[in-house]
Amino acid sequence: MSKPLSITDLPARCFQGVAPTVIATCGADGIPNVTYTSQMYLLDDGRVALSCQFFNKTKQNVLATKLACLQVYDPVTFEAYRVVLRYHHDETEGPFFESMSRRIDAIATHTGMAGVFKLRSADVFDVVSVEKTENFMHTIEDTSSPLEPTQLKWKGELYALQYVSKAMRLPRDVGSLYTATLEALEHAVGFEHSMILLPDESGKRLYAIAARGYGESGIGAEVGFGEGLIGTVARERCSLRVSGVGAELRYGRAIRTSVQRSTGGRDLRPEIPLPGLVDAQSQLAIPLVADDELVGVLALESPRPAAFEPWHEAFLEIIANQIATAIDAFARREKDDDEDDDEPVAAAQSPSQAPVECTRTLKLRFFKSDDCVFNDDEYLVRNLPGRILWKLLGEHVASGRTEFTNRELRLDGSLGLPALRDNLESRLVLLRKRLEQKCPEIRLVPVARGRFRLELECPLDLAESP
Amino acid sequence: MVPELGDLFESGVSILVGTRDAALVPEAMRGCGAVVHADRQHVTVFVPTIVAERTLANIRDNGQVAVCFSRQIDHRTMQIKGRVREVREAAAEERDVVMRYHGALTDGLAMIGMQRSTLKPWNAWPATAVEVEVEKIFSQTPGPNAGEPWTGGRT
Repeated sequence: MSKPLSITDLPARCFQGVAPTVIATCGADGIPNVTYTSQMYLLDDGRVALSCQFFNKTKQNVLATKLACLQVYDPVTFEAYRVVLRYHHDETEGPFFESMSRRIDAIATHTGMAGVFKLRSADVFDVVSVEKTENFMHTIEDTSSPLEPTQLKWKGELYALQYVSKAMRLPRDVGSLYTATLEALEHAVGFEHSMILLPDESGKRLYAIAARGYGESGIGAEVGFGEGLIGTVARERCSLRVSGVGAELRYGRAIRTSVQRSTGGRDLRPEIPLPGLVDAQSQLAIPLVADDELVGVLALESPRPAAFEPWHEAFLEIIANQIATAIDAFARREKDDDEDDDEPVAAAQSPSQAPVECTRTLKLRFFKSDDCVFNDDEYLVRNLPGRILWKLLGEHVASGRTEFTNRELRLDGSLGLPALRDNLESRLVLLRKRLEQKCPEIRLVPVARGRFRLELECPLDLAESP
Repeated sequence: MVPELGDLFESGVSILVGTRDAALVPEAMRGCGAVVHADRQHVTVFVPTIVAERTLANIRDNGQVAVCFSRQIDHRTMQIKGRVREVREAAAEERDVVMRYHGALTDGLAMIGMQRSTLKPWNAWPATAVEVEVEKIFSQTPGPNAGEPWTGGRT
């Protein structure tokens, strides 16, 4: 026998797409149909919404007979629940629809199917009955599993918030702010893989300014607006959480394969390699907005399915607001520093002496067509940080200068810094980190607010290509 | 039904069973194994007896059944629809079919990240054998053509 439950009695992870839900329907002709649902949202204690991407038999049946029966699984215990639904209406706009649509768009763009694979409607159902399917599994003593949501190192949400908030208050520069924030998120809440991405000067792409838990591959990683989860969050300025990334991508790829067979793939773009863990199962991305402008994206990942819960999203939105405000404050302070910076730019100084042990010459090449700098044959940096590096190295070779100011970079029209919110200090942070990783013989050492020194360990050989 | 389909049905794909009662209220459950008959017109689908009460009552009422076979790794999915010709308790010698399926399903779900230990306590046996006469086959791999009748080509 099964006991009646409310839909809200089911563990939240049942609705996160990790273990897909089965849906049975029946046509007016009495012929049953059974398949998997793509996405299911819990709206309240009496309603759920199911995604409808294709006008398929399931949709035709619920329009005809109104009823559906779900078998919902707990991805941690594989316990099953029987849920009977009565179709109420479908929505093609509004908050449910938009929320579902954004998640589907994120997967569609990742799998190269933007516009091909999209949400047709969010179908709203009343919950008629909910039962646990008794005896679906043997009773066993211990149902714990590595699928359990992130075990927090927290001492309460408020403590974690206080800890992260305090860590963010201490940094003296924007680079330390990013690093301290990601460190605090790991220490206080246990998020081991996190990134902060900022929009570049084109306003069409984001680049990772700070990354934790990705080795050397995180910093500098790029993603276009509207591409994948992070790009969709940037474009839509709303948070997105995906709990079964692998499952969602497999579903998307299945549709892609099906479209390729029927159309020859004419409408499909290549699948986009995105920054992050190759085996990510959970992703959460939050927009950083200050003064009604997108200043970045905070992105977290986990190799565990259903690692992020609704409260994590709420918690991180508070943190994200603080990060955004801090980024904005640093950017404004940078400009103010420029105004106060009346000291003359350092005059020509003797070139920094290369240490005796340095026996090689750094061969750097600048490609004008895409503003890329290569160290020998290895890509170093591009776009604005690439142009900045090339200017500094060129000036050094021409005049021996080693000291530079942010202000002179801002005044140099050839660099193409945006007039508003140029994020120059963040660009310099990215450049410093790329140099540390890929070319430690060149260092940009801050000497005062808005000033830095170029330090070289080897002689330079600079060349340019079209 | 071509041999390729038989291979798919008898592998570790997810088997979903759909029925309905006299009032057209649908019922969904998981199957725990399948055997395609030599005539390729009939398929025996096994369901765990302990949770099949509604499904079996529906079958006794009207004999209508839909069975969906979905491969976890790539969502390759087919659905058969037909009438139930026989319902019986699975024989002792069929336990191997069900146990093999349980193992293959576990492999399939482990490939997509589920824990093997999670699936171990599934009550797949004792099972009830449901013999289905296949009337229609549909390709149901997600996509714009999902739900189209299968014409014998690649699914």
